[in-house]
Amino acid sequence: MKSLIPAILLLLTFILMLSGPLSAEDPIGIDRYTISGTVTDATNGEELLGATIYIEELETGVATNLYGFYSVSLPEGKYTLMFSYVGFQTIQKTINLKTDLTINVELEMNKEMLTEVVIKGEMKGENLRKPEMSTFKIDSRSIKKIPAFMGEVDIIKAIQLLPGVQATSEGGSGFSVRGGSPDQNLIILDEATVYNASHLMGFFSVFNNDAIKDVTLYKGDIPASYGGRLSSLLDVRMKEGNMKKFSGSGGIGTISSRLTLEGPVVKDKISFIVSGRRTYADLFLKLSSNENLRDNALYFYDLNGKMNVKFNDNNRLFISAYSGKDIFSNDDFKMGWGTQTLSMRWNHLFSKKIFSNFTAVYSRFKYSLGVPEGQPNSFIWYAKLNDYNFKADFVYYLNPNNTITFGANTIFHQFYPGTAKGLGEEAFFSEFEVPRSNALESGIYISNEQKMGARVSLKYGLRFSLFNNIGTGVLYNFDDDYNAIDSTVFAKGEIFNTYFGVEPRMGISYSLNEVSSLKVSYARNRQYIHLASNSTAGTPLDIWFSSSPNVKPQVADQFALGYFRNFKENIIETSLEIFYKKIKNAIDFKDHAELLLNQELEGELRFGKAQSYGLELLVKLTEGRLTGWISYTLSHSERTIAEINNGKTYVSPYDKPHDISVVLNYNISKSFVFGMNWIYATGSPVTFPTGGAWYQGVRLPIYSDRNSYRLPDYHRLDFSLTYKGRQKKDRKWRGELNVSIYNVYNRKNTWVINFKPEENDPAKLYAEKTYLFGIIPAITYNFKF
Amino acid sequence: MNLTNKLIKLVFFIIIFTGCTEKIELELDESYARLVVEGEITNEKKAHQVKLSMTSSFLGEDRDPPVSGAIVTISSATSTYYLNESQSEPGLYYTTSDVQGIPGELYQLDIELPVEVNGQKHYSANCMMFPIAPLDSIGLRYDDRWDVWEVQCYALDPPTIDFYMFEILKNSIMLSDTLSDKMVVDDKLYNGQYTNGIGVGWLDPEKPDEQLQNGDTVTLRMSRITEEYAYFIWEVQRESGYHNPMFGGPPANVAGNISDGAIGFFAAYSVEYGSTVYEE
Repeated sequence: MKSLIPAILLLLTFILMLSGPLSAEDPIGIDRYTISGTVTDATNGEELLGATIYIEELETGVATNLYGFYSVSLPEGKYTLMFSYVGFQTIQKTINLKTDLTINVELEMNKEMLTEVVIKGEMKGENLRKPEMSTFKIDSRSIKKIPAFMGEVDIIKAIQLLPGVQATSEGGSGFSVRGGSPDQNLIILDEATVYNASHLMGFFSVFNNDAIKDVTLYKGDIPASYGGRLSSLLDVRMKEGNMKKFSGSGGIGTISSRLTLEGPVVKDKISFIVSGRRTYADLFLKLSSNENLRDNALYFYDLNGKMNVKFNDNNRLFISAYSGKDIFSNDDFKMGWGTQTLSMRWNHLFSKKIFSNFTAVYSRFKYSLGVPEGQPNSFIWYAKLNDYNFKADFVYYLNPNNTITFGANTIFHQFYPGTAKGLGEEAFFSEFEVPRSNALESGIYISNEQKMGARVSLKYGLRFSLFNNIGTGVLYNFDDDYNAIDSTVFAKGEIFNTYFGVEPRMGISYSLNEVSSLKVSYARNRQYIHLASNSTAGTPLDIWFSSSPNVKPQVADQFALGYFRNFKENIIETSLEIFYKKIKNAIDFKDHAELLLNQELEGELRFGKAQSYGLELLVKLTEGRLTGWISYTLSHSERTIAEINNGKTYVSPYDKPHDISVVLNYNISKSFVFGMNWIYATGSPVTFPTGGAWYQGVRLPIYSDRNSYRLPDYHRLDFSLTYKGRQKKDRKWRGELNVSIYNVYNRKNTWVINFKPEENDPAKLYAEKTYLFGIIPAITYNFKF
Repeated sequence: MNLTNKLIKLVFFIIIFTGCTEKIELELDESYARLVVEGEITNEKKAHQVKLSMTSSFLGEDRDPPVSGAIVTISSATSTYYLNESQSEPGLYYTTSDVQGIPGELYQLDIELPVEVNGQKHYSANCMMFPIAPLDSIGLRYDDRWDVWEVQCYALDPPTIDFYMFEILKNSIMLSDTLSDKMVVDDKLYNGQYTNGIGVGWLDPEKPDEQLQNGDTVTLRMSRITEEYAYFIWEVQRESGYHNPMFGGPPANVAGNISDGAIGFFAAYSVEYGSTVYEE
């Protein structure tokens, strides 16, 4: 802790030095007044994140924050303000600024097809000026337009289509960002960490799109207010609930049904939203001719709820909760896993210039499986992880050119890596527990976003993270061969290990002209908790473990350089980014690692370094009849770990050198919308045998280097067609029918390759590929009222 | 934890019931050849066997080239046995039929090849033969959920950390005749306790050689093996079995206990038998 104080002092001095002369830019004696407020959607009162407020006279502007709030301080005078948001009609307000003003603005959505009305002076091209790169924001309406697997609209499937992002396996909801592992992504739902975002062995994600407002992915240029993961931040925001009127929406699909209800409790003051989804895959099992299959229950559900209270312009409270579970059971055994989160946030304005948000979060991931009581081999095996997270964030709108954010957070993690025990009197399994452990992960940060003249925008910040292992805990000590030699037990509350480090984050944007800019960013991230999983497809049997005296934190440094150019009045945004990422203390698992129910898990870990680099090209159509994006990624990702692959460098399991995504939507007419995806990626790396030995009747494969072969290339085309019924003016009910086809040309994409004995000559083997999904049509009826 | 495996397999099965398979052509490189050693000694009085061969190309080979003319010995602190090569099956080496291992002894295998393999003429391995607790009795229970006969084990597990291998014989014919049929468990969940009829093997009435008729004798061969051998068998089972990306990590070479990069294992273990006669 001692070294913490000088670091903070240094940081403060640094900030004061920078902001000091800047705030003194104003001639003495000129008073500044603050305009602040929120920008919301007129139809439902939802806050618009990243809406822009352009001040015509100054040819500059500001954007709303994550809570739809903005603030700008200007000298006395007459100003024309343009409030705009993509897909909404811009509002212009002329003001005579003589005192602090609160201006809350409600924007009306653009009627579809009514486009191309370009308003002069509107603050478009924000993507060029912001000193932020490698990010992508997408709202739930856009996600809904993307053809979906089995008709289930899925945020994570949409994210996997972005440049630099790879699906970890066919149909799975794991993703790899710029070659990183899936556990290097911080996924938050209303600030609560979601540790396992998958349902049904990963084929669906836990996010019910009906309850989601928008999603932002940060591929390494993570804001200083977040930390703890090396590769990305996926910030998922739930809808706040309609402040204007009671409404509902829902859908009946091929595998699930959904219903969302929202409305004001007190108009424009208090609103709520509840949203539920349940699958009925098990209903199909009932049709099976196999008796064993018929008796199974197999489903998942999601429940989202949120309440938000506007006490006044200065105080607002949000309470959001999520609970989702997968259930699989029959008389013989049962298995369940699920995530619960509860977050409470309080927005408070200390002044018109200081916005604050205080957050308290509880989040839990748990799974259990076993044989129900009453049988001699009855047992239960469960594991869980609890998080208690407290966070305070402040935004200080110093002047139009400087926005300072600072804050702190601390997370108390409780790990229960696994307990297995017999059930009932007859049980012959004794209890077996992998010792639980606790850790405290904290951070403080400060960051400034600064405009320097018309061309240059800067973002620079510093995060200081601190990690403690806290008793009760058991620490195993290992010899040089990773065998446990003894263990030390620590008492409750005893801090037995501490790690800390500084994480600089910075970005510069330089406008070359009206339509193009250059950007550079650098970020360091430290990761203190890790996932023990060496499967490439996600399973629910996740075990998270923390850094400890045996496991150093993983540290990543990432540099990125980008060229951004907009075309056609900013309707077409293009970017070219190159990145280089280097990871220290990278973790991989030894050959044949045992990760489940292993007290000496740390002995299965091996440490080394990892690096990845690549180029990402994105063309995005933001408005018009044709919207969507085309992306191409060229990348390489590798690891070097002394005890793995004989110390030779090997490509990481998520290395896919070429990756193309085409995601397009076309409004054919007022009633019909057509959507398509086409995905192409180099086949995943695999290890194949280069020799064999018959050994007691089985063919034992002998491998050469890890990941030195590749599966056949992956490609797939999906279509969707949405028909919106004619809207009758006097009827509230609006229905739409969506037909989607996954894998239109029925490509048999390889999921895995196995070697099997020839039927007529069992002593000979042949290679056999398994593919999961051929062409899959699905139909969904969605409604709104 | 066999039950867990079954469960995982079932969940997995349900998930991929849409999955399909297809035969494909694959070009595989050929690695340099290595010696393969398959040897064991037990506390049974019999001719113990060591098999020597060479690795071969992974696909399409139904037999590996045998290694003939080697000098093979198994020794302990108290005795040394010379193994003779079979006349009919080259590459197979036997002790005389009166050899019986003694639990508690460390056994050493030495192989002297007539020509170098992988730059090496001499290979060796050693393995401890641990004593085994008595097998009190076995039972048979029909499991109507899975439609299989479950072989139940009644024995007291000692407080030490133990690894067991279970094999099933019907009328003295070994049914668990390949390494993938053998069941290997640790005692994690019942260490130091009476096993009380835990299922350690299954007979599938759908398979002709596993069907039971009145008067059939079912025998359980229970062996206490070393941790290294248990892991070896598990790894062989995993590497030769079905791979799927959800469970299990990347493929990797199986670690045996033979010196100098040779493939395989030399195992020493003690054995207990238990039998029951099936009556309808």
